[in-house]
Amino acid sequence: MSERAGEDPIRIERTGDLFAARFTAMASPCEVLLDTDVRAEAFALAGRARREALRIERKFSRYRTDSVVGRIHAARGRPVSVDDETAALLDLAALCHQLSQGRFDITSGVLRRAWVFDGGEHVPSPERIAEALVHVGWDKASWRRPVFTLPEGMEIDFGGLGKEYAVDGAAALLAAASRRAFLVNFGGDLFASGPRRDGEPWAVGVDDPEATGERVLYRVDLARGGLATSGDARRFVRWQGRRLGHLLDPRTGWPVEDAPRSVSVLAPTCLEAGMLSTLACLHGPGAAAFLEAQGAEYRIA
Amino acid sequence: MQLSPTRPATALRLRLRAAAAALLAAGAVNAARAETPAARWQFDATGLGYVERSRTVVIEPVARITRLFESGQSLWLQTTLDAMTGASPTGAQPSGRVQTVTSASGTVSTSTANQVPTAPFHDFRGALDLGGVQPLGGIASIAASGHYSREKDYTSRGGTGQFSLDLDRHLITVTVGGSLYRDTVTPVGGIRVPLSDGTSFLPEGALPRRTSEGSAGISRVLSRRWMVSLNGSRTHEEGYLTEPYKIVSLIEGDGTPSPDSLLTEGRPGTRNRNALMASSVYHLTDDVLYASYRYYWDDWGVRSHTLDLKYHEELPLHDYLVPHLRLYTQTRADFFVFGLPQGGAVPRYATSDLRLGPLHSVTLGLTYGFTLPDHPGEFTIRGEYIHQWGDGHPASAIGVQQQLDLFPGEDVYTVTGGYTLRF
Repeated sequence: MSERAGEDPIRIERTGDLFAARFTAMASPCEVLLDTDVRAEAFALAGRARREALRIERKFSRYRTDSVVGRIHAARGRPVSVDDETAALLDLAALCHQLSQGRFDITSGVLRRAWVFDGGEHVPSPERIAEALVHVGWDKASWRRPVFTLPEGMEIDFGGLGKEYAVDGAAALLAAASRRAFLVNFGGDLFASGPRRDGEPWAVGVDDPEATGERVLYRVDLARGGLATSGDARRFVRWQGRRLGHLLDPRTGWPVEDAPRSVSVLAPTCLEAGMLSTLACLHGPGAAAFLEAQGAEYRIA
Repeated sequence: MQLSPTRPATALRLRLRAAAAALLAAGAVNAARAETPAARWQFDATGLGYVERSRTVVIEPVARITRLFESGQSLWLQTTLDAMTGASPTGAQPSGRVQTVTSASGTVSTSTANQVPTAPFHDFRGALDLGGVQPLGGIASIAASGHYSREKDYTSRGGTGQFSLDLDRHLITVTVGGSLYRDTVTPVGGIRVPLSDGTSFLPEGALPRRTSEGSAGISRVLSRRWMVSLNGSRTHEEGYLTEPYKIVSLIEGDGTPSPDSLLTEGRPGTRNRNALMASSVYHLTDDVLYASYRYYWDDWGVRSHTLDLKYHEELPLHDYLVPHLRLYTQTRADFFVFGLPQGGAVPRYATSDLRLGPLHSVTLGLTYGFTLPDHPGEFTIRGEYIHQWGDGHPASAIGVQQQLDLFPGEDVYTVTGGYTLRF
């Protein structure tokens, strides 16, 4: 008989009049809350949500050699033809790059290697930054649908979009499969399909980044929509008396100054909420002004 | 925070919205394609080949089909076939002369001098098992199974049940179980009267053997990597517990077995067995170390220790290797003898069955698990070598017996192939 250990299972519990399903995906704790009394239905819906999260993780993970990203990196500068889903993701990345005047850049991951955000005082030399910046810059890649060419030495990372996309993807599957209200929460990025049976909204607590997992900054009563939170609080480095967060500006190779500790945005979808909160953070001290100009629902801490 | 429907979206947001919608639409196609239902069936098959040098060969294919349900329930059905052929020790002692032994199954066997005498046999055994698992409330589960098997001279019917409960956020699991078996022994040619010369038979043609067992265990997760457990079981057997074809040699004064007379073996009508086992599972980064120790004792005087070690090593591409070491030692049953003196008093119980004798064994095994490209099934191949020996020169050896090894070492080779498919 097979000796293979099982995959990480879904754990389902009844809390109040909801079913709460929990599992791990995209290196994050994931939760799906289902407003149903039928256990079998909860199992089926939670399974669908998890499978979609894993599908997206496996397809776009930069850690896997068999993912789309792995294929692009393995091509080492040669053109790669991508499918419709990847093309749409690259279109979205290109749009965010343009809308942020270059601050949002899926090729900026390489910069991470130059910096150590451990609360210490070490900052990289200008030479080290310049060396890393050689391999950074969306404009250096060529994206002509459906062919994507990434120069050798450069890397792409969909981490800034992947979780929000998975939330919306899972939510679409659940909405198609059932009329029940649900809340999908992948690592803090979430989507609620509508108010619960008793008419009440879902109560969401936004984590206090200064005491992650322990304290809640504020509560949001979410009836419908996507809620995404971005922030710069946890990892930092000290330099000349200033505290520099870990969000890097690919145009300079340096951290974005005075980015908000935590910004939560509410939007019709989790992807829109996520992109608005990320773009806001990249504006540093201009985060609030940016969100105001966009007419967004947001909270900055 | 509320989504406000009245404020018109800015151009930036509309462009973001359009790109996001295009992405979801493109992804929906792939999501639907990937949305094949979770595995609902599992098929497992193994084939075991077992060779005991110069004695017995067993071929045993087993197939099981399991139906899995989304709520965690499962139902399974398993069939087993054993084909056994070879030579089984009769219990007669080796001697310096050629021996001929007739057996109850009607065969005559002649053994060469100085070797443990054996009798040939062919047998087929078929078994059918049915079972199911039902989770309860996310923290408990019950399992039950039924068993029926049949061979030429032996029928077994029984069932097991088990209940387990998770405590303390699934860190502790408590398990309680039991089983009941009712077996029937119908030896070929009838049942010879125990501890007699083998010419008279018991009036009934079939005799029952009842086994009941209770067990309890507790396992605890000590850390993210380490889980330990402790189990105990107690078994009560009663009925006809004797091996109907085995004999005890009557030894002449010079140590040679008497060629003309023999004694059929006889064992008590009840047996109470106990076992305690401690085991540990330790997870390294990808690999797993399994270790267990079992102490067994019963009211026939047999005590044994078993130490079992296995190391599961994950290899690239989801293959794995499991080396295995097992050490076993057992004391003899109180009524185990290497033969009885001719003309002496006949004891109440006696057996020369080496499986109740003072024996030790070492097992070395290796399992290799692998998958083939483009095929969803999982394969395993396992080889095991068992060397078994006992104290073949007991102090009680008489005469020429002292020159002979009454319990020679035995080598057993097994090869098992396995296949699992989920669909």
